[in-house]
Amino acid sequence: MKLLVAYLTVGYPTPKAFLELVKHIESAGVDVVELGIPPRFAKYDGPLIRKSYEHVKSLGIDYWALLKEARRAVEVPIVVLTYLEEFENIFASLVDKLNSIGVDSLLLPDLLIDYASSYENYLEMARDVGVTLFTSPSMPDKLIERVAPLSKLFLYYGIRPATGIPIPVDPVVLVKRVRALVKNRLVVGFGLSLNEVVDVLKACADGIAVGSVLIQLIESSGVEAVVKLLKELRGVIDGV
Amino acid sequence: MVNIPKQFLDEILPSYWYNIVPDLPKPLPPPVDPPNTSSRIDLLRKVLPREVLRQEFTINRFIKIPDDVREKYKVLGRPTPLFRARALEEFLKTPAKIYFKFEGALPTGSHKVNTAIPQVFYTYDEGVSHVTTETGAGQWGAAVSLAAALYRVNAAVFMVKASYEQKPGRRALMEFYGAKVVPSPSKLTRIGREVLEKSAKHPGSLGIAISEAIEYALENGYRYVMGSVMNCILTHQSVIGLETMKQLEIVGEEPDVLAACVGGGSNFGGFAYPFIGLKNSREIEFVAVGSSEVPKFSKGDYRYDYPDTAGLLPLLKMITLGKDFVPPPIYSGGLRYHGLAPSLSLLISEDIVKWIEYSEKEILEAAMLFTRTQGVVPAPESAHAVKAVIDIALEARKSNEKKVIVFNMSGHGLLDIENYRSMMKRYSAW
Repeated sequence: MKLLVAYLTVGYPTPKAFLELVKHIESAGVDVVELGIPPRFAKYDGPLIRKSYEHVKSLGIDYWALLKEARRAVEVPIVVLTYLEEFENIFASLVDKLNSIGVDSLLLPDLLIDYASSYENYLEMARDVGVTLFTSPSMPDKLIERVAPLSKLFLYYGIRPATGIPIPVDPVVLVKRVRALVKNRLVVGFGLSLNEVVDVLKACADGIAVGSVLIQLIESSGVEAVVKLLKELRGVIDGV
Repeated sequence: MVNIPKQFLDEILPSYWYNIVPDLPKPLPPPVDPPNTSSRIDLLRKVLPREVLRQEFTINRFIKIPDDVREKYKVLGRPTPLFRARALEEFLKTPAKIYFKFEGALPTGSHKVNTAIPQVFYTYDEGVSHVTTETGAGQWGAAVSLAAALYRVNAAVFMVKASYEQKPGRRALMEFYGAKVVPSPSKLTRIGREVLEKSAKHPGSLGIAISEAIEYALENGYRYVMGSVMNCILTHQSVIGLETMKQLEIVGEEPDVLAACVGGGSNFGGFAYPFIGLKNSREIEFVAVGSSEVPKFSKGDYRYDYPDTAGLLPLLKMITLGKDFVPPPIYSGGLRYHGLAPSLSLLISEDIVKWIEYSEKEILEAAMLFTRTQGVVPAPESAHAVKAVIDIALEARKSNEKKVIVFNMSGHGLLDIENYRSMMKRYSAW
């Protein structure tokens, strides 16, 4: 079965609406939920997700308490997304905290880009939680081959330079290149259009990740609209 | 020129460009948006030809050169010749063999047209009628003007006003190709008008010209074409290295040293990357030659910075002197750029490519020596590579090594001859 991975920013647009959405996410057909903790500078995210980070930062909420509630609300795996840059000096305590909350994995978009010579240390430190690795087309083949077996749950492949910006790319070419290098379950994300969802799955990706579109929709149309879209996506994925 | 049997000629011009990104030692840090502003990455989507963007971000090792572009390459004289500089070798009494790839043989006198052709082709293919760009001394502007003429697309070239007034030669060449050359700052754009309001006699800068070209494209639905730094531009330039590789193979040489000058990095990348990524590069020494007046290698930092002075484009991780660096008035216009292509920055910081910097005085002597032995006037930029090659060949004489040194002569210097004359006065080198 193909995977549907849904990204939400913790506490967005309000803690209440966020938890409401989390509660419905399993029944909407989501296999893995990614929850974003806002960093100071989300350099590899696009404008919509950056805006959601700014918004929840202004609310002054306790992300960890919300994570705990989210954990209680869903059975599906939770992957926490944040930037290593933000936690570099307190990484061990981040891992402890996530471990005690009981999340299933950690995803750090900057790990293999900005910490390319020291990523192994961080993987070792994060052993108790595990790390889902984020890879992208600008990574060399040799690195992707080397790190892929270390990735927990699946390997994330972001096909655009930033989330949510429809830069023209050829998803089929990109997915085929990485597919030939790795054995993992491969989840593709970053600004996918519906047509591209079908294309990447046909190019033998094992799942897709959506984020910016959910953030946009929850703000403009509320929780129900997001649930409806996720159900539609589930249908599209199952129909490929 | 090295003797290439006729039956090989069509084989030398490659059918694919080579992209080094999948073969780099580390991940290439992606372009990022500055914090707390509108998305600069999104801006690219609005002004660059769609296919150029697709190539920039669809990272594949080999990219097919469109048949039409390959035909145009042939029209303009590709493959360019590979020469052996025997007279220079004899003068230097070196046991080393010196070869040079001569991009100056192309009609506008430099390698720039290798990427202007595909970028204008993709614009034409989208059905867009105009391209815009900026130019300092005029090499890039001339290349775009030529490409635009070939595809009957209109070109608007924003030329730094100081050069527009002082260097009428290349301006005339661009106009002869049919381009509209606009002195920048101009009244055609909001940015230009703002600068002119503050200072009516502003001499202009490359940063202002870039901003004007982007704004003009954005306002009118035109496409903006870029001369260096972006990865896909280095990919287009890979025809230089791929041809050189084949030519060396045909004459039976294995290079020991490859050298080229570096401004934004497109001629170095185009020349050296196929050898770095596709050959067992540990055996080859790669030398990037910069200007000590623009000391990005010795004094620059490797960090995220703006590729343009106005800060309109996304941040790139690169070796940089800072976007506000004001270069001294050296004549090698192409080397005055503050930054460096991200892929080359990575290769330099990983020590796979070595660097050296020379002063204008040093390169003047090298250019004169090369001209007086080989007859070809190197562009002042390319003279930096010439100087490095002379030094390496003299070292080889000391150690009696039969090294094979190959460098890229990115352009000829006939249109710079007045500049050389000024340099001779400046350094009393009569």
